[in-house]
Amino acid sequence: MKRINLICIIDDDPITVFGIKKMLKSVSDCDAIDTYTNGKLALEGIKSKLETTQRVPEVIFLDINMPIIDGWQFLEEFITLPASNKARINIITSSIDPADRAKWEYFRLNTTHTITFNYKPLQKQDLFEITKVA
Amino acid sequence: MLKGSQTSSTSYLIKQLPKATVFVNNRSEIVYVSDKWLEEFNFSNQDVTGKKILALENRISKEGRQALKACLQGENQKKTIERSLFISLEKQFEWTYSTWYDEAENIIGAIIHSEDITQLKQTELQLEKQKVLLHETSENGNIGHWEYDAVQDKVTWCKRTKAIHEVPPDFEPTIENGINFYKLGYSRNTISMAVDRAMRDGTPWKEKLQITTSNGTEKWVIAAGKPLFNDNKFIGLIGTFQNINEHVISENRTKESQHLLRTLIDNLPLNVFMKDVQSKKVLVNKHELQFYGLEHEHEIIGKDDFAFMDHNSALRSHEEDRYVMTTLKPMLDQENEITQKNGKSITFLTSKIPLMNDADEVIGIIGFSLDISNIKQKEEELKNLINVTSLQNKKLINFAHIVSHNLRSHTANFSMLLDFLVEENDETEKETIIGMLTHASDNLLETLENLNEVVAISSNVNLEKEPVNINEKIRSIEQNLSVFLKNYDAKIINSISNAASINAIPAYIESIFMNFITNAVKYSSPERKPVIKLSSTNKNGYTIVSIEDNGLGIDLKKYGSKLFGMYKTFHPNKDAKGMGLYIAKNQIEAMGGKVMVCSEVGKGTIFNIYFNEKN
Repeated sequence: MKRINLICIIDDDPITVFGIKKMLKSVSDCDAIDTYTNGKLALEGIKSKLETTQRVPEVIFLDINMPIIDGWQFLEEFITLPASNKARINIITSSIDPADRAKWEYFRLNTTHTITFNYKPLQKQDLFEITKVA
Repeated sequence: MLKGSQTSSTSYLIKQLPKATVFVNNRSEIVYVSDKWLEEFNFSNQDVTGKKILALENRISKEGRQALKACLQGENQKKTIERSLFISLEKQFEWTYSTWYDEAENIIGAIIHSEDITQLKQTELQLEKQKVLLHETSENGNIGHWEYDAVQDKVTWCKRTKAIHEVPPDFEPTIENGINFYKLGYSRNTISMAVDRAMRDGTPWKEKLQITTSNGTEKWVIAAGKPLFNDNKFIGLIGTFQNINEHVISENRTKESQHLLRTLIDNLPLNVFMKDVQSKKVLVNKHELQFYGLEHEHEIIGKDDFAFMDHNSALRSHEEDRYVMTTLKPMLDQENEITQKNGKSITFLTSKIPLMNDADEVIGIIGFSLDISNIKQKEEELKNLINVTSLQNKKLINFAHIVSHNLRSHTANFSMLLDFLVEENDETEKETIIGMLTHASDNLLETLENLNEVVAISSNVNLEKEPVNINEKIRSIEQNLSVFLKNYDAKIINSISNAASINAIPAYIESIFMNFITNAVKYSSPERKPVIKLSSTNKNGYTIVSIEDNGLGIDLKKYGSKLFGMYKTFHPNKDAKGMGLYIAKNQIEAMGGKVMVCSEVGKGTIFNIYFNEKN
């Protein structure tokens, strides 16, 4: 398995962040985990790292409903970033609104990054499956 | 030989005979001739004595010659008919040949009488023709005749009359039994009186009456009669008897179907009309008349649409007529708005069908129009209702998604944390997890409270609106928020009139103003002291309260669609929960109002709240 250099968690709910982090410990040996509480902060952080490394995080856990810049707005901008590597973006949500799935379809087809759609709660096994380099 | 004087006197005598007479001797030579004969056969002024009659009158037929010959041989009295053409006029003569004897009974010749029977023959022929005609007329017209001879007190019916009465040929009619065939009541009374009057003062009659035949069949007849007088003395009656039963029945049938048709078209819930090739009305039903506010058909017959519709409606209608009449294609269920001269508009569903005569030529159109204004209006109302319903449905689904999302995210957290807890051995970590569980539980409670609040607004539709003085409410909010406002050093400039009041639910008003004012202060610019301006105007049944701030402003292009969404926050503000505007908007809408926003980033935001003055 390819080694993951950087994982990123974007979620405004501290419990979810705590949970993902905790589960990641047992499924991945990646130490570098960045967490952001909304899309705006995430974009700022990712962009500043991109400038120095030309890379975006290999795996991103993304919440949809967040203040200021939500998951979709984040994706809109993220897929335009001039990254040299492909990211695997795992959308984690508790929304069952079909409109959200439709948006996922749209982004999935309009980017070279891998985007998956996952419902809460995440099980350790699920997390293992989606925590890999795209 | 006879003596000369004798001969001469005989000759003179015969000359004067009033009948056309000619005497011939055994050799068929003319001996004596009457002037009348000469005149009849056009020999006047000629001396025909001594001339052979057969040579002179060479048109005498073969029968005539034979008759003459037989006569001269003693066979008495032969008659022949001779036809002669005189100046292109055919005349018929009856020639009577008699043997001429002398005193000794010797045959000395023949006496020939010629009688012009042209007139007689013609009269005979005329009579024959009349008879045939009468018979034919009687047969074809189903007309019988009858006669009453008052002198002999005898009634005669012709065959046809008997046939109409359905009696046998040997039936013997009388005045009395004749009258008894008439149906009791009107028919019998009428005929009795007519006959009586005719006998008394000579008035003829002609009546349409009903008889009951000997077989019991009822028939309609025209009974006509006329008294006959001779020297002012009544001598009898003569009359005709016409069976018009089929005619009356078919007439009645026609009347009935006409009546049926009329009743039908008048009572159809449609405007029915017929137009001629010039688009002039030839028939209309009651609804069409009523539509134009008219009472009588003659007010509309012969007029075209321009007389009753406004120019454009009439023009369109005429174009339709022309199209139908030229293409012979019916126009079906065309939806048209027709404007009358008085400006009243009605939506019709109109069909126009070409009307043809027997020769398959178009002679006009038949049209039907159904007034669908009510349907149209209902359709409009229904559309509005559907819009409202679908809007509410959308809101409801959206709310359901929010509820589902929030509850699911909390339960997901619970489930995850509990999983961790079960597997965790480290005591400190366990405590952390329990701390988080407590936090998650608090969050869930808060979420439920928020949802309850929203549900309360949506379900409290029965809360009564009442007049609320705006400034009183604002002053009480200012008081409640005095510490908060002081902390931000915020200033409220209120230009709303003290008299201004709105029709609203008081509890909502407080919550709405509280929300907008605290928002305006919370999202103030760090570069300037917050100033909030309040004002109000009235427009189209709404009281519009404006709340203007000089705060951070918001990028409406980016966030406009989410501004009033639940749990949507746009500023990195710790207190932001994304509930305030969502609830305020729901409260405004629950009172039949709406809220509009304009904003510029870095300058400030204006919220215009529309309060519906109606209930």
